Amino acid sequence: MRIKNGFVLREVCGEQVIMGEGVGALDFGKLLCLNETAAWLWQKACDMGDFTVEKLAEALCGEYDVSAEQAKADVAAIVAEWQKVNVVE
Amino acid sequence: MSLSVQETRYYKVADHVFSLKANAGLSDDFFEKNADNYAPFSVSACDCLFSMEVVTDAKAPVFVEETRQDEEGQRIVCGITQHGESLFEFYLFDKYVGTLVCSKDYRTSKLFVPSAENTSHLKFAVNNALMVLYAIATAPFDTALFHAAVVNYQDRGYMFLGKSGTGKSTHARLWLKYNEGSTLLNDDNPVVRFYKNADGKGFAKVFGSPWSGKTPCYKNEECMLGGFVLLAQAPFNEISRLRGVQAYAAILPCISGKRWERSIADGLHNTENALAANVPVWYLKCLPDEAAAKLCLKTVAE
Repeated sequence: MRIKNGFVLREVCGEQVIMGEGVGALDFGKLLCLNETAAWLWQKACDMGDFTVEKLAEALCGEYDVSAEQAKADVAAIVAEWQKVNVVE
Repeated sequence: MSLSVQETRYYKVADHVFSLKANAGLSDDFFEKNADNYAPFSVSACDCLFSMEVVTDAKAPVFVEETRQDEEGQRIVCGITQHGESLFEFYLFDKYVGTLVCSKDYRTSKLFVPSAENTSHLKFAVNNALMVLYAIATAPFDTALFHAAVVNYQDRGYMFLGKSGTGKSTHARLWLKYNEGSTLLNDDNPVVRFYKNADGKGFAKVFGSPWSGKTPCYKNEECMLGGFVLLAQAPFNEISRLRGVQAYAAILPCISGKRWERSIADGLHNTENALAANVPVWYLKCLPDEAAAKLCLKTVAE
Protein backbone atom coordinates (compact mmCIF):
# COMPACT_ATOMS: atom_id res chain seq x y z
CA MET A 1 0.00 0.00 0.00
CA ARG A 2 1.09 3.58 -0.52
CA ILE A 3 -0.18 7.09 -0.02
CA LYS A 4 -1.61 8.43 -3.25
CA ASN A 5 0.27 11.14 -5.09
CA GLY A 6 -0.92 14.65 -4.41
CA PHE A 7 -1.95 14.26 -0.77
CA VAL A 8 0.01 16.25 1.78
CA LEU A 9 0.09 16.62 5.53
CA ARG A 10 0.02 20.22 6.69
CA GLU A 11 -0.25 22.05 9.97
CA VAL A 12 -3.48 24.05 9.87
CA CYS A 13 -4.12 26.34 12.85
CA GLY A 14 -2.20 23.99 15.13
CA GLU A 15 -3.77 20.77 13.87
CA GLN A 16 -2.41 18.10 11.55
CA VAL A 17 -4.49 17.98 8.38
CA ILE A 18 -4.42 15.97 5.16
CA MET A 19 -5.34 17.85 2.00
CA GLY A 20 -5.45 17.08 -1.70
CA GLU A 21 -3.16 19.43 -3.60
CA GLY A 22 -1.54 17.53 -6.41
CA VAL A 23 -2.83 16.75 -9.87
CA GLY A 24 -5.41 14.00 -9.41
CA ALA A 25 -6.08 14.99 -5.78
CA LEU A 26 -7.45 18.47 -6.47
CA ASP A 27 -11.09 17.40 -6.24
CA PHE A 28 -10.63 15.75 -2.81
CA GLY A 29 -12.68 18.70 -1.57
CA LYS A 30 -12.16 18.21 2.15
CA LEU A 31 -9.68 18.52 4.98
CA LEU A 32 -8.95 15.42 7.01
CA CYS A 33 -7.85 16.11 10.59
CA LEU A 34 -5.43 13.59 12.10
CA ASN A 35 -4.63 13.03 15.75
CA GLU A 36 -1.00 12.90 16.89
CA THR A 37 -0.61 9.16 16.31
CA ALA A 38 -2.27 9.21 12.90
CA ALA A 39 -0.08 12.14 11.81
CA TRP A 40 3.03 10.30 12.99
CA LEU A 41 1.93 7.19 11.05
CA TRP A 42 1.23 9.24 7.92
CA GLN A 43 4.75 10.64 8.05
CA LYS A 44 6.14 7.15 8.56
CA ALA A 45 4.05 5.78 5.67
CA CYS A 46 5.37 8.59 3.43
CA ASP A 47 8.96 7.72 4.40
CA MET A 48 8.39 4.01 3.76
CA GLY A 49 6.80 4.61 0.37
CA ASP A 50 5.40 1.12 0.15
CA PHE A 51 3.91 0.20 3.53
CA THR A 52 1.84 -2.47 5.26
CA VAL A 53 -0.19 -2.41 8.47
CA GLU A 54 2.38 -4.79 10.00
CA LYS A 55 5.34 -2.57 9.12
CA LEU A 56 3.62 0.53 10.46
CA ALA A 57 2.59 -1.30 13.66
CA GLU A 58 6.19 -2.35 14.18
CA ALA A 59 7.36 1.23 13.75
CA LEU A 60 4.68 2.43 16.16
CA CYS A 61 5.88 -0.04 18.83
CA GLY A 62 9.40 1.32 18.44
CA GLU A 63 8.23 4.89 19.03
CA TYR A 64 5.42 4.60 21.56
CA ASP A 65 4.99 2.45 24.65
CA VAL A 66 2.29 0.17 23.26
CA SER A 67 1.82 -3.59 22.94
CA ALA A 68 2.24 -5.22 19.52
CA GLU A 69 -1.40 -6.25 19.58
CA GLN A 70 -2.67 -2.78 20.44
CA ALA A 71 -0.39 -1.16 17.86
CA LYS A 72 -1.68 -3.42 15.11
CA ALA A 73 -5.31 -2.71 16.02
CA ASP A 74 -4.67 1.07 16.10
CA VAL A 75 -2.81 1.09 12.80
CA ALA A 76 -5.44 -1.08 11.12
CA ALA A 77 -8.20 1.31 12.23
CA ILE A 78 -6.33 4.38 10.99
CA VAL A 79 -5.39 2.80 7.67
CA ALA A 80 -9.01 1.67 7.19
CA GLU A 81 -10.02 5.31 7.62
CA TRP A 82 -7.54 6.35 4.94
CA GLN A 83 -8.91 3.69 2.62
CA LYS A 84 -12.44 4.89 3.24
CA VAL A 85 -11.60 8.43 2.09
CA ASN A 86 -9.44 7.07 -0.72
CA VAL A 87 -6.06 8.63 0.06
CA VAL A 88 -4.12 5.37 -0.15
CA GLU A 89 -3.79 2.82 -2.93
CA MET B 1 -3.98 50.23 -37.80
CA SER B 2 -1.34 48.07 -36.18
CA LEU B 3 1.16 49.12 -33.58
CA SER B 4 4.32 50.11 -35.37
CA VAL B 5 6.33 49.70 -32.18
CA GLN B 6 5.78 47.46 -29.22
CA GLU B 7 4.27 49.19 -26.25
CA THR B 8 4.63 48.26 -22.58
CA ARG B 9 2.55 49.52 -19.69
CA TYR B 10 3.03 49.00 -15.96
CA TYR B 11 0.42 48.38 -13.30
CA LYS B 12 0.50 48.14 -9.52
CA VAL B 13 -2.13 45.99 -7.80
CA ALA B 14 -1.94 45.57 -4.01
CA ASP B 15 1.63 46.95 -4.18
CA HIS B 16 2.81 44.28 -6.63
CA VAL B 17 3.89 45.65 -10.01
CA PHE B 18 3.52 43.85 -13.33
CA SER B 19 3.86 44.86 -16.94
CA LEU B 20 1.74 44.21 -19.99
CA LYS B 21 3.28 44.44 -23.42
CA ALA B 22 1.38 44.56 -26.69
CA ASN B 23 3.32 43.11 -29.57
CA ALA B 24 3.47 44.56 -33.07
CA GLY B 25 0.51 43.17 -34.97
CA LEU B 26 -2.04 44.14 -32.34
CA SER B 27 -4.15 47.22 -32.96
CA ASP B 28 -2.70 50.55 -31.82
CA ASP B 29 -5.60 51.08 -29.45
CA PHE B 30 -4.95 47.70 -27.81
CA PHE B 31 -4.76 49.13 -24.29
CA GLU B 32 -7.78 51.43 -24.65
CA LYS B 33 -9.91 48.67 -26.13
CA ASN B 34 -8.76 45.68 -24.12
CA ALA B 35 -7.18 46.93 -20.93
CA ASP B 36 -9.28 49.89 -19.77
CA ASN B 37 -9.91 48.10 -16.44
CA TYR B 38 -6.15 48.38 -15.72
CA ALA B 39 -5.99 52.16 -16.19
CA PRO B 40 -6.67 53.03 -12.49
CA PHE B 41 -3.66 50.86 -11.55
CA SER B 42 -1.24 52.43 -14.02
CA VAL B 43 2.25 53.37 -12.80
CA SER B 44 5.39 54.53 -14.57
CA ALA B 45 7.98 52.02 -15.71
CA CYS B 46 9.73 50.27 -12.82
CA ASP B 47 10.93 46.88 -11.61
CA CYS B 48 8.16 44.36 -11.73
CA LEU B 49 7.25 41.02 -10.22
CA PHE B 50 6.18 39.59 -13.57
CA SER B 51 5.59 40.62 -17.15
CA MET B 52 3.31 39.40 -19.88
CA GLU B 53 3.66 39.99 -23.60
CA VAL B 54 0.62 39.57 -25.83
CA VAL B 55 1.61 37.93 -29.08
CA THR B 56 -0.48 37.45 -32.19
CA ASP B 57 0.31 35.68 -35.45
CA ALA B 58 2.41 33.06 -33.68
CA LYS B 59 1.63 29.51 -32.74
CA ALA B 60 1.56 28.45 -29.11
CA PRO B 61 3.87 25.52 -28.26
CA VAL B 62 2.62 21.96 -27.92
CA PHE B 63 2.18 20.65 -24.39
CA VAL B 64 1.17 17.76 -22.17
CA GLU B 65 -1.99 18.34 -20.15
CA GLU B 66 -1.74 18.11 -16.34
CA THR B 67 -5.21 19.12 -15.25
CA ARG B 68 -8.12 21.33 -16.19
CA GLN B 69 -10.71 23.54 -14.53
CA ASP B 70 -14.18 24.10 -15.88
CA GLU B 71 -16.49 26.62 -14.29
CA GLU B 72 -19.50 28.42 -15.71
CA GLY B 73 -18.36 28.13 -19.31
CA GLN B 74 -14.81 29.20 -18.51
CA ARG B 75 -12.25 26.49 -19.06
CA ILE B 76 -8.53 26.50 -18.27
CA VAL B 77 -6.40 23.60 -19.49
CA CYS B 78 -3.09 23.44 -17.60
CA GLY B 79 0.01 21.72 -18.89
CA ILE B 80 3.75 21.65 -19.41
CA THR B 81 5.64 22.35 -22.64
CA GLN B 82 8.53 20.17 -23.78
CA HIS B 83 10.88 22.81 -22.33
CA GLY B 84 9.28 22.48 -18.90
CA GLU B 85 7.41 25.78 -19.03
CA SER B 86 3.96 26.06 -17.46
CA LEU B 87 1.19 26.53 -19.95
CA PHE B 88 -2.46 27.57 -19.56
CA GLU B 89 -4.98 27.37 -22.37
CA PHE B 90 -8.14 29.49 -22.05
CA TYR B 91 -11.59 28.78 -23.43
CA LEU B 92 -14.82 30.75 -23.18
CA PHE B 93 -17.89 28.63 -23.88
CA ASP B 94 -15.75 26.13 -25.83
CA LYS B 95 -14.18 28.87 -27.92
CA TYR B 96 -10.37 28.95 -27.76
CA VAL B 97 -9.21 32.44 -26.80
CA GLY B 98 -5.50 32.15 -25.99
CA THR B 99 -2.53 30.34 -24.45
CA LEU B 100 -0.30 31.60 -21.66
CA VAL B 101 3.25 30.25 -21.51
CA CYS B 102 5.33 31.11 -18.44
CA SER B 103 9.00 30.91 -17.62
CA LYS B 104 9.78 28.46 -14.80
CA ASP B 105 9.93 31.25 -12.22
CA TYR B 106 6.73 32.88 -13.59
CA ARG B 107 8.53 36.20 -14.02
CA THR B 108 8.17 36.43 -17.79
CA SER B 109 5.41 35.09 -19.96
CA LYS B 110 3.75 35.24 -23.33
CA LEU B 111 0.07 35.18 -24.12
CA PHE B 112 -0.58 33.78 -27.60
CA VAL B 113 -3.88 34.98 -29.02
CA PRO B 114 -5.52 34.18 -32.37
CA SER B 115 -5.15 36.97 -34.92
CA ALA B 116 -8.20 39.13 -35.69
CA GLU B 117 -9.53 38.24 -32.30
CA ASN B 118 -12.71 39.97 -31.23
CA THR B 119 -12.49 42.36 -28.31
CA SER B 120 -14.49 40.38 -25.78
CA HIS B 121 -12.43 37.24 -26.38
CA LEU B 122 -9.13 39.13 -26.29
CA LYS B 123 -10.14 40.89 -23.06
CA PHE B 124 -11.15 37.59 -21.53
CA ALA B 125 -7.80 36.02 -22.46
CA VAL B 126 -5.75 38.97 -21.15
CA ASN B 127 -7.69 39.15 -17.87
CA ASN B 128 -7.56 35.43 -17.18
CA ALA B 129 -3.90 35.15 -18.07
CA LEU B 130 -2.97 38.07 -15.82
CA MET B 131 -5.07 36.67 -12.96
CA VAL B 132 -3.36 33.28 -13.24
CA LEU B 133 0.05 34.94 -13.27
CA TYR B 134 -0.80 37.30 -10.44
CA ALA B 135 -2.09 34.50 -8.21
CA ILE B 136 1.03 32.40 -8.81
CA ALA B 137 3.68 35.13 -8.76
CA THR B 138 2.39 36.74 -5.54
CA ALA B 139 1.81 33.46 -3.66
CA PRO B 140 5.22 33.56 -1.86
CA PHE B 141 4.55 37.11 -0.63
CA ASP B 142 1.66 36.63 1.84
CA THR B 143 -0.72 37.65 -0.91
CA ALA B 144 -3.86 35.91 -2.16
CA LEU B 145 -6.14 36.61 -5.11
CA PHE B 146 -9.64 35.80 -3.89
CA HIS B 147 -12.91 34.89 -5.46
CA ALA B 148 -15.20 37.07 -3.34
CA ALA B 149 -17.25 40.25 -3.20
CA VAL B 150 -16.02 42.91 -0.79
CA VAL B 151 -17.66 46.00 0.69
CA ASN B 152 -16.00 48.81 2.56
CA TYR B 153 -17.78 49.91 5.73
CA GLN B 154 -16.15 52.57 7.90
CA ASP B 155 -12.76 51.87 6.32
CA ARG B 156 -12.91 48.16 6.96
CA GLY B 157 -13.38 45.56 4.24
CA TYR B 158 -15.84 42.72 4.69
CA MET B 159 -15.45 39.88 2.24
CA PHE B 160 -18.32 37.63 1.19
CA LEU B 161 -17.29 34.11 0.24
CA GLY B 162 -19.18 31.16 -1.17
CA LYS B 163 -19.60 28.87 -4.12
CA SER B 164 -20.73 30.34 -7.42
CA GLY B 165 -24.42 31.10 -7.27
CA THR B 166 -24.56 31.41 -3.47
CA GLY B 167 -25.29 35.12 -3.65
CA LYS B 168 -22.02 36.90 -2.82
CA SER B 169 -22.84 39.83 -5.10
CA THR B 170 -26.46 39.81 -3.93
CA HIS B 171 -25.43 40.07 -0.29
CA ALA B 172 -22.98 42.85 -1.15
CA ARG B 173 -25.86 44.72 -2.89
CA LEU B 174 -27.97 44.32 0.26
CA TRP B 175 -25.22 46.00 2.29
CA LEU B 176 -25.05 48.89 -0.18
CA LYS B 177 -28.82 49.31 -0.01
CA TYR B 178 -29.50 48.81 3.69
CA ASN B 179 -26.22 49.40 5.55
CA GLU B 180 -25.69 53.11 5.10
CA GLY B 181 -22.12 54.14 4.41
CA SER B 182 -21.05 50.93 2.72
CA THR B 183 -19.48 51.00 -0.73
CA LEU B 184 -18.47 48.24 -3.12
CA LEU B 185 -14.67 47.74 -3.25
CA ASN B 186 -14.71 44.80 -5.66
CA ASP B 187 -17.35 42.35 -6.84
CA ASP B 188 -15.35 39.26 -7.80
CA ASN B 189 -11.56 39.22 -7.40
CA PRO B 190 -10.11 41.32 -4.58
CA VAL B 191 -6.55 40.84 -3.34
CA VAL B 192 -5.67 40.21 0.32
CA ARG B 193 -2.26 40.75 1.89
CA PHE B 194 -1.12 39.70 5.34
CA TYR B 195 1.38 41.74 7.32
CA LYS B 196 3.26 40.39 10.32
CA ASN B 197 3.85 42.49 13.39
CA ALA B 198 6.98 42.10 15.49
CA ASP B 199 4.97 40.15 18.10
CA GLY B 200 4.13 37.41 15.59
CA LYS B 201 0.53 38.55 15.30
CA GLY B 202 -0.54 40.44 12.28
CA PHE B 203 -3.21 42.12 10.24
CA ALA B 204 -4.58 41.91 6.72
CA LYS B 205 -5.56 44.45 4.11
CA VAL B 206 -7.91 44.00 1.20
CA PHE B 207 -7.33 45.74 -2.13
CA GLY B 208 -9.43 46.43 -5.21
CA SER B 209 -8.17 44.99 -8.49
CA PRO B 210 -8.62 45.25 -12.27
CA TRP B 211 -10.70 42.07 -12.10
CA SER B 212 -14.25 42.33 -10.88
CA GLY B 213 -16.36 39.81 -12.77
CA LYS B 214 -19.37 41.21 -14.55
CA THR B 215 -19.38 44.41 -12.48
CA PRO B 216 -17.09 47.18 -13.75
CA CYS B 217 -15.69 48.10 -10.32
CA TYR B 218 -11.96 48.58 -10.80
CA LYS B 219 -11.00 50.58 -7.74
CA ASN B 220 -7.40 51.19 -6.84
CA GLU B 221 -8.27 51.39 -3.15
CA GLU B 222 -7.43 49.46 -0.02
CA CYS B 223 -8.62 49.11 3.54
CA MET B 224 -8.06 46.98 6.64
CA LEU B 225 -9.72 43.60 6.33
CA GLY B 226 -12.45 43.39 8.96
CA GLY B 227 -13.61 39.86 8.34
CA PHE B 228 -14.64 37.04 6.03
CA VAL B 229 -18.25 35.92 5.77
CA LEU B 230 -18.93 32.52 4.22
CA LEU B 231 -22.46 32.57 2.80
CA ALA B 232 -24.98 29.77 2.45
CA GLN B 233 -28.56 30.03 1.32
CA ALA B 234 -31.17 29.18 3.96
CA PRO B 235 -34.83 29.86 4.72
CA PHE B 236 -33.73 31.93 7.76
CA ASN B 237 -30.90 34.22 8.89
CA GLU B 238 -28.29 32.94 11.32
CA ILE B 239 -24.65 33.80 11.85
CA SER B 240 -21.88 32.04 13.79
CA ARG B 241 -18.11 32.34 14.13
CA LEU B 242 -15.74 29.80 12.55
CA ARG B 243 -12.35 29.11 14.10
CA GLY B 244 -9.25 27.08 13.47
CA VAL B 245 -9.48 24.43 10.76
CA GLN B 246 -13.08 25.45 9.96
CA ALA B 247 -12.00 29.04 9.34
CA TYR B 248 -9.14 27.81 7.15
CA ALA B 249 -11.54 25.55 5.24
CA ALA B 250 -13.85 28.50 4.55
CA ILE B 251 -11.02 30.58 3.08
CA LEU B 252 -9.15 27.88 1.14
CA PRO B 253 -11.53 27.29 -1.82
CA CYS B 254 -11.79 31.04 -2.50
CA ILE B 255 -8.11 31.51 -3.29
CA SER B 256 -6.72 31.04 -6.80
CA GLY B 257 -3.41 29.38 -7.50
CA LYS B 258 -1.58 26.42 -8.95
CA ARG B 259 -1.67 24.24 -5.85
CA TRP B 260 -0.19 21.23 -7.57
CA GLU B 261 3.16 23.01 -7.61
CA ARG B 262 4.52 22.57 -4.10
CA SER B 263 6.27 25.92 -3.63
CA ILE B 264 3.13 27.80 -4.68
CA ALA B 265 0.92 25.67 -2.42
CA ASP B 266 3.32 26.34 0.48
CA GLY B 267 2.99 30.11 0.01
CA LEU B 268 -0.80 29.99 -0.20
CA HIS B 269 -1.01 27.71 2.83
CA ASN B 270 1.07 30.13 4.92
CA THR B 271 -1.20 33.00 3.93
CA GLU B 272 -4.36 30.97 4.63
CA ASN B 273 -3.06 29.90 8.04
CA ALA B 274 -2.18 33.48 8.96
CA LEU B 275 -5.57 34.77 7.80
CA ALA B 276 -7.51 32.01 9.61
CA ALA B 277 -5.66 32.82 12.84
CA ASN B 278 -5.80 36.61 12.65
CA VAL B 279 -8.95 37.65 10.78
CA PRO B 280 -12.47 36.82 12.05
CA VAL B 281 -14.30 34.30 9.85
CA TRP B 282 -18.10 34.02 10.02
CA TYR B 283 -20.65 31.63 8.61
CA LEU B 284 -23.89 33.31 7.55
CA LYS B 285 -26.88 31.20 6.62
CA CYS B 286 -29.24 33.68 5.06
CA LEU B 287 -32.12 34.85 2.95
CA PRO B 288 -31.47 37.52 0.32
CA ASP B 289 -33.10 40.21 2.46
CA GLU B 290 -32.55 43.38 4.49
CA ALA B 291 -32.53 41.49 7.79
CA ALA B 292 -29.59 39.36 6.59
CA ALA B 293 -27.51 42.43 5.73
CA LYS B 294 -28.36 44.07 9.06
CA LEU B 295 -27.65 40.94 11.12
CA CYS B 296 -24.35 40.48 9.31
CA LEU B 297 -23.24 44.07 9.87
CA LYS B 298 -24.27 44.07 13.52
CA THR B 299 -22.29 40.88 14.13
CA VAL B 300 -19.12 41.39 12.10
CA ALA B 301 -18.61 45.12 12.61
CA GLU B 302 -19.41 45.30 16.31
